[in-house]
Amino acid sequence: MQRLQLNKIFLVFALITTVILAYSFIFSPDVDYNTQVKPLLNKKCITCHGGVKKKAGFSLLFRSEALAATESGKPAIVPGDPEGSEMIRRLTCTDPEERMPYKAHPLSTDEIDLLKKWIRQGAKWGDHWAYTPVAQQTIPKRKGWLWGLFQKEDKWAHNDVDHFIRAALDKQDMEPSIQADKHSLLRKVSLDLTGLPAPEKTATAFLSDTSVKGYEQLVDQLLADPAYGERWTAMWMDLARYADTKGYERDDRRQIWRYRDWLINAFNNNKPYDSFLVEQIAGDLLPDATNEQYIATAFHRNTMTNDEGGTDNEEFRTAAVIDRVNTTWEVLMGTSFGCVQCHSHPYDPFRHKDYYRFLAFFNNSRDEDTYAEYPLLYEFQDDDLLKYNNLKQWLDQNCDPEQKNEITKFLRTRQPTINSLTADSFRNSELLDTKWLVMRKTSGARLRNVALQGNTRLLMRYNSMATDSRLEIRIDSPGGKLISQVLLGKNKNGWDIAELELQPIEGKHDLYLFYRSRSLVKEDDNGMMFDWFYFTNPFPGKGKPGYDTSLAHFRHLILKGKANTTPVMVENPAFMERTTRVFERGNWLLQTEAVEPGLPASLNPMPDENMKNRLGLAKWLIDKKNPLTSRTIVNRIWEQLFGQGLAETLEDMGTQGIAPTHPELLDHLAWKLMNDYQWDLKKLIKEIVMSATYRQSSSMKNETSKKDPFNKYYSRGPRNRLTAEQIRDQALAVSGVLNRKMYGPGVMPFQPAGVWSSPYNGDQWQNSQGGEQYRRAIYTYWKRTSPYPSMLNFDAVAREVCTARRINTNTPLQALTLMNDPAYLDLSRQLSFRLYKQYGQVEAQLAEAYRAATGRPATPEKIGIAKSLYDNALRVYSKDPDKTCSMTGLMDEHNFPEMAALILTVHTIMNTDEVITKY
Amino acid sequence: MKRHEKIIHEASTRTLEHITRKHFLKECRTGIGMMALGSFLSGCDWLGNKKPAKGVGIDMSDPFIPRAPHFPAKVRSVIYLHMAGAPSQLELFDYKPELVKLSGQDCPPSFLEGKRFAFIRGVPKLLGPVTGFAQYGQSGTWLSDNLPNFRNVVDEVSILKAVTTDQFNHAPAQLLMHTGSARLGRPSMGSWVTYGLGSENANLPGFVVLTSGGNNPDAGKSIWGSGFLPSVYQGVQCRSEGDPILFINDPEGMDRDLKKASIDAINKVNHADHDAFGDPETLSRIAQYELAFRMQIAVPEVMNINDEPVYIKEMYGVNPGEASLANNILLARKLVEKGVRFVQIFDWGWDSHGTSPDGSLDKGFVEKCKSVDKAMTALLQDLQQRGMLDETLVVWGGEFGRTPMQENREGKQNLFKGRDHHVDAFSMWMAGGGIKKGFTHGETDEIGYNAVSGKVSVYDIQATILQQLGFDHERLTYEFQGRPFRLTDVHGKVINDILT
Repeated sequence: MQRLQLNKIFLVFALITTVILAYSFIFSPDVDYNTQVKPLLNKKCITCHGGVKKKAGFSLLFRSEALAATESGKPAIVPGDPEGSEMIRRLTCTDPEERMPYKAHPLSTDEIDLLKKWIRQGAKWGDHWAYTPVAQQTIPKRKGWLWGLFQKEDKWAHNDVDHFIRAALDKQDMEPSIQADKHSLLRKVSLDLTGLPAPEKTATAFLSDTSVKGYEQLVDQLLADPAYGERWTAMWMDLARYADTKGYERDDRRQIWRYRDWLINAFNNNKPYDSFLVEQIAGDLLPDATNEQYIATAFHRNTMTNDEGGTDNEEFRTAAVIDRVNTTWEVLMGTSFGCVQCHSHPYDPFRHKDYYRFLAFFNNSRDEDTYAEYPLLYEFQDDDLLKYNNLKQWLDQNCDPEQKNEITKFLRTRQPTINSLTADSFRNSELLDTKWLVMRKTSGARLRNVALQGNTRLLMRYNSMATDSRLEIRIDSPGGKLISQVLLGKNKNGWDIAELELQPIEGKHDLYLFYRSRSLVKEDDNGMMFDWFYFTNPFPGKGKPGYDTSLAHFRHLILKGKANTTPVMVENPAFMERTTRVFERGNWLLQTEAVEPGLPASLNPMPDENMKNRLGLAKWLIDKKNPLTSRTIVNRIWEQLFGQGLAETLEDMGTQGIAPTHPELLDHLAWKLMNDYQWDLKKLIKEIVMSATYRQSSSMKNETSKKDPFNKYYSRGPRNRLTAEQIRDQALAVSGVLNRKMYGPGVMPFQPAGVWSSPYNGDQWQNSQGGEQYRRAIYTYWKRTSPYPSMLNFDAVAREVCTARRINTNTPLQALTLMNDPAYLDLSRQLSFRLYKQYGQVEAQLAEAYRAATGRPATPEKIGIAKSLYDNALRVYSKDPDKTCSMTGLMDEHNFPEMAALILTVHTIMNTDEVITKY
Repeated sequence: MKRHEKIIHEASTRTLEHITRKHFLKECRTGIGMMALGSFLSGCDWLGNKKPAKGVGIDMSDPFIPRAPHFPAKVRSVIYLHMAGAPSQLELFDYKPELVKLSGQDCPPSFLEGKRFAFIRGVPKLLGPVTGFAQYGQSGTWLSDNLPNFRNVVDEVSILKAVTTDQFNHAPAQLLMHTGSARLGRPSMGSWVTYGLGSENANLPGFVVLTSGGNNPDAGKSIWGSGFLPSVYQGVQCRSEGDPILFINDPEGMDRDLKKASIDAINKVNHADHDAFGDPETLSRIAQYELAFRMQIAVPEVMNINDEPVYIKEMYGVNPGEASLANNILLARKLVEKGVRFVQIFDWGWDSHGTSPDGSLDKGFVEKCKSVDKAMTALLQDLQQRGMLDETLVVWGGEFGRTPMQENREGKQNLFKGRDHHVDAFSMWMAGGGIKKGFTHGETDEIGYNAVSGKVSVYDIQATILQQLGFDHERLTYEFQGRPFRLTDVHGKVINDILT
């Protein structure tokens, strides 16, 4: 009886336990893979069981891998059965040889329980937030009284942004800050939208306007100001790694500023972000690509080229292609893809092969690390543009469109040519400085696998340095059929273009070049060199009216047509296509399996499976299903305005990046940008700056700031140091010397002597004159191996490779730059001259200096500080004419003690924190 | 660090700690101005519980505060002498009598198969040493006639004769040597070191670069760049012409008193702003202006070699007022004496291809040797006499070595005696704290073409330098693009054989 009783009690107890357990299994909240499990796996397991190493055949990168049989033959994770999962046994066993993590601290009981629970619930995998499609979000409503029956009114909010921000603030029990005063708001929004203080008229209008619409009108005016395009171009130049030189050892000049100007126009014309990207990635492949569309592709010609003698051109061509892949991912998709170059991604769902499939999209452009940076776009100028247009018109009427296209493409891009640096099988020939094929007295060389297609003409760019020479071309073997020969004299003016007749041959053949010069004495004397070869057909329309003139125009244009040139992307024609192979462990010399262009399976598929080229890739990038593109640009623009991204790591939204503080807001804006705004960036920017969030005061003198020291909840407005470009541009504007001229080649504002000194390159920095030295920072000539020092001190980057995010620093070198760089002192002088002329009273001069520099009236305390410095300085300068003269700069009408004292004081004001801070 | 400097530094740190954020070791957090520091000071979850712990933050308002490395350091500072262009080991340290015999003969095909050279094409001829050699010191180390002074200190150094690299062009090889990658974009060694250790003298930059030879090194300023580390850690180039550091000198017409008054006014205004708005960055700005003022005194002082005693100037063979290697080597001593952490010297013009007299082994190269021999010898002696050699690491080398073959550029015999770039074996030396004295590590084959024993890589050199500073090179990391990066990438073994 008693026993029965006990059994009964036991049964009841067991039943209750089962019920409780079952209840907790069924109703306990699901473990979230992304926020709970993945971070734990990344931290403790994935170094040995991930994309790099797969110890014991076990990897936790993909679910399929994690559930697969390991080397032991058994899977380590059995969904639903933690006790039967080897993984759990190995986490909990006591044998140090068996217990995981190997030779490291064991996981805590909580962590193990979490993993057990996760396996019990089915070991569900989750997609990382950034790889899931952007979905429309519900705009949060504030919880009201009586369980929401009465909604709390939100008088603070101006737009959607604020609802998301307010919801997060409410959760933290924080209040937003009051709106910034008008002066602060004016300065902040002007600097943010145009990189400059607002123009005087705009500023006065806003400050005197008391209507509700005043701020919006201000924003609209600033968005329409041409300075807007320049300001956002400054941002994009870091992403595009824009520079005016090639990089590496010689770091010679490169002419690519037309691309910078294209950016300015694109931002100013508010080119929708989708077209903006398509043109930069694949503008050359658009139907009837315009010059502008070609120039957009210079985005990916900002890669470096190496002119150092003895370098392998294919190595640096490959390096440029790899850079294009990494840049595309990092700056356009906020994803670190570089790791996948050597092995599968250690943390994110990208496989090693994905890298090379992606690289295949970029591996078929014509550039080959040539000295001249081919292919270039030739934009004919003046009379030659006229000639070009006439020629085009004539071709329209006198030949078939295919021929016309071939000729105009050749004139515009000189493609498709074969660069002589691809020659091989040298016999008494070589690549001169590893750049051009050079032939000696009696010599031979080969061009491999040339597609001839029955062509009967060869155009070649060459330089013959010897008289009485002969060039022969044979096919298939050194003793093969002779298909062309020519007698050559010495070129009078260096490089020239010759047209050779060819025997028509079909198909791909090796071509053997033989050269002999009777005038050369020694066997190793150089006789002729080649730049490129172009296999073509006779100029069409022979016998038709205008033929002679058109042919003359054609020859004139290719030989000495006056043109602006810009390196651009041009795709290989089908007969020149390269095969892309996987590089074993990222080593370009160990090429293995061939791959087709393709995308990681973990992301959206190609919208058009038939377009497996850069254009298809570009379309994929801007496909609304692409989860990364819109989030990345929204996050970046937010960062530009607030000083920090909604996800702080702009360069990596992957699982190792920092998770967004307001994921719903990020997605909301991304969705809106693509759908409501049709990729209109001005609308997006306007929405953000119109928000109450943005308009808050940035003061930290309140209780909330203590709870939110880094403004993660946006309980106050942004407050950041200005960028290198903004600091320079503002000083130019405030001093009144800013030259608003737009576009054109880079300029050289003052830089101390001796900063440039590249080997084998006697190039010098020539300080610009005549107002050119006062142009905005984006026009400053940018040399990669020696960037403009005063901007570098304010965290500008060298732009050797792309920079997704600048890190703000605060250093003594910044203080030294603002205090002692003659360029900044010059600006303080210019400002002082103006103030002295406009205001009689010292106090008024100083008050105006503060107002101009900070955008708001100074407190009497600050004017007092400046005045007492002025008095002190005036005493010194009154007694010291030499010092006075040095300070005022010249023996001219400004050379008197009051001016010297004013300059020193104004320069001091220009050095205050407020001036270089956006508040 | 002198006592008063310590006090100033401490005071400024204290002020910052007191009035700004709590110092990073006390409380870990992230935010504006705080950097994620890799795993090398791990132990604190810097993002609350939202993310796996990766380390702690460096407070960017005081990025150079001295920090402790992984284990006790052998040395406080490093002086790295880089002969840009790559000096010929065969005319300096690696004596090859067999090569004397073979000089003028065709290079055996076995050495050429599957090899790629920068300029050699076809079959070049072997070239014997273009100078004499003899043994010196207790250690009986072979040295060439090009180093008549260095023989006096040869018992202080460890020579590495089998260093290898995998880059045969200057710019990539220099990048590899100093940043661990042949491509641009990684932090340089000095940046890693100041990022890891901070600096002992707040009034001087922690990482100073000095250049001579008329050009910057081939890889440009990138080899002292900070890559993805915050830009404060980049090397600061000190120049012998113009301002020693860009913008360090006051503008003309502004004397020290006026500058002081100006900075006082700036700081007063900034304090007023801080009182009104409470932004801690404003306080950092105040500290930076004070620091800048002190640097303006400290830098010209340390950069002035005129005040050195005559015998020191003679010992180094300096030429005040010029940009000379000897001047820079003397400056390096002065800088480490003042607590500078990493001094990087680049001397351009060692690329002896034999295409011109300046670039030939019997003319220009001999002159380059003269310019370095006396000064590097003096450096070791001077550090020794000051009791500083034990706490300084001196490293000497190029970015690769030279071929045992006479260069035949583009297949033609060059006009002068010269050698092409060579990656499979070259010589470097190290001396100072924790380094064996009078020791040679590694050997090459009979003609100095391949390493046969004691082979070390560029990464091993980097690992060893970090080791002497107290770092495990595998643990000095920085989180970037989703993974921890380190100077030695995935390579590097400490060269224990040369350590005491």
